[in-house]
Amino acid sequence: MPRETPSPIDLPDEPLERPGLLWTGATIAIAALLLFVMNAVALRDWIEEQAPSPVQAQAAALAEQWVTITDDIGLGRPRAWLHDLWKKAEGATF
Amino acid sequence: MLFPTLTFGLFFLVVFTIVWSASGSNEWRKILLLLASWVFYGAWDWRFVALLIGSAFLNWGTAAIVSRTEEEGRRKAVMLIGVVGNLCILGVFKYYDFFLEQLGMLLHDFGFQRDMPLMQIVLPVGVSFFTFQGMSYLIDVYKRRIAAADLLDITLLMSFFPHLVAGPIVRGSDLLPQFREAPKLTRDAASIGLVLIVWGLFKKAVVASELSTGLVDPVFFDPASHSRIDLIAAAYGYAVQIYCDFSAYSDMAIGIAALLGYKFPLNFNQPYRAASLQDFWRRWHISLSSWLRDYLYIDALGGNRRGFARQCVNLMVTMLLGGLWHGAKWTFVIWGGLHGGVLAIERVWDRIRGEDWPRMPAWLGVIITFHIVVLGWIFFRAETFDQATAYLGGLANGTAAATLTVTPLACVLIGLGLGMNAAPVGLGQRIALRLRMLPAPVLGLLAGVTILIVDAMRFEGVAPFIYYQF
Repeated sequence: MPRETPSPIDLPDEPLERPGLLWTGATIAIAALLLFVMNAVALRDWIEEQAPSPVQAQAAALAEQWVTITDDIGLGRPRAWLHDLWKKAEGATF
Repeated sequence: MLFPTLTFGLFFLVVFTIVWSASGSNEWRKILLLLASWVFYGAWDWRFVALLIGSAFLNWGTAAIVSRTEEEGRRKAVMLIGVVGNLCILGVFKYYDFFLEQLGMLLHDFGFQRDMPLMQIVLPVGVSFFTFQGMSYLIDVYKRRIAAADLLDITLLMSFFPHLVAGPIVRGSDLLPQFREAPKLTRDAASIGLVLIVWGLFKKAVVASELSTGLVDPVFFDPASHSRIDLIAAAYGYAVQIYCDFSAYSDMAIGIAALLGYKFPLNFNQPYRAASLQDFWRRWHISLSSWLRDYLYIDALGGNRRGFARQCVNLMVTMLLGGLWHGAKWTFVIWGGLHGGVLAIERVWDRIRGEDWPRMPAWLGVIITFHIVVLGWIFFRAETFDQATAYLGGLANGTAAATLTVTPLACVLIGLGLGMNAAPVGLGQRIALRLRMLPAPVLGLLAGVTILIVDAMRFEGVAPFIYYQF
């Protein structure tokens, strides 16, 4: 006897009869690209956390250069501004 | 490999691409998902992948024998052997040292000093989840609720990486029929999947992590040196933290599975709006509470079929064992006992209450239920019974302190976390209905910007999910 379990995946409307794979792939690719250019510090920090090796050192140098490039263009500014704002909120006391 | 990390993000991008590229063959697709799941699990400790495979073999083999056996006594015996095998896995890895320590203390009380052969066994991540999943499959086959499945499907059912380490406990009846057909990725599933992933990321990386590091951990570590205001705030803070932590994992697991074409059941349904503890357990960790209800309370203990007094005892036993499921500590048993006791009291009250007696307003029921739950969380969070009583002592007799640990931001996050429980029902689904109409570039930009905002707010580093330890 199969169990009928509600799932949040079942949307409360008629299913949309359009293929979803390319649409989803494109959505994820664009989101990833946006994060790659506007959140370069996250990639740099992640590479720095990896186990040291010649490849890691090379990747870290490239990531640092990428941070410099995106910062020079101003692409890293929105994230930095938000992060500073959040840090101020974190530091506030009663 | 934690969900809200770049490591997992890159892993998922690779898996998503490879698995959907191989969708011509459902069998190959499942094999690839299985390999990916083992890589995911092996990132913690490769040795435990063998345990996972062994556990899958145990359940596949015993279920296959059960399904081919006609004689009822033999079927039951084989099923029980399989269940005991699963319980042995849990017992050895999770409870062996705990029970030996208790035995050592007991012997000490009777004047016998013995060095117990403790093994300091490393707890395999998610062992409670995959053994419960295996047991439910085996019992379902024995009860003829589902047909026995092949080895690949069972191994994937137990190893599938979105739910592997912290649930939801997805039963065979939910997932095995989906494995039999090649899945399709619809815009509906993808849009709600993305909503759940981003929402889960926010709850975990921002709300739960911030409350944990900024308020809950320091106050619970040393309750005696904190004021009553801090203790109250940290108790509420932990209620929000554990909800945002665990429901975030479930949301992300459901979302990730949806992007791979599979449907997981709902695991949280705004639990802090429950007006009774019975209602709470229909909303909190639904896959565990329904598991305990179906397999332990009803199947093993008899539920309410043996009289009212036995029903109340069954409730208490179920919740005590449910508490012990979370870990080998007395504080979990007390937590389970508190919930079991209150559930039994609710049943007794329903029975003795006259029809013409006035009913409690729903809002009052919500407030009372929430505070019982918060009381239980203090035991759940405390490392020891003494720490929990020290915490409760501080709440009763605490002093005002010159400096407060609780911050304005913590108060906002507690308010936000509680407010999530008062949000309109199905809000995420309604958002998904709008998102599915957007062109991919627009939705991609929207998703990217939202993740960027969350990342800017997140606490440095990501603490493991609370339920990883279970």
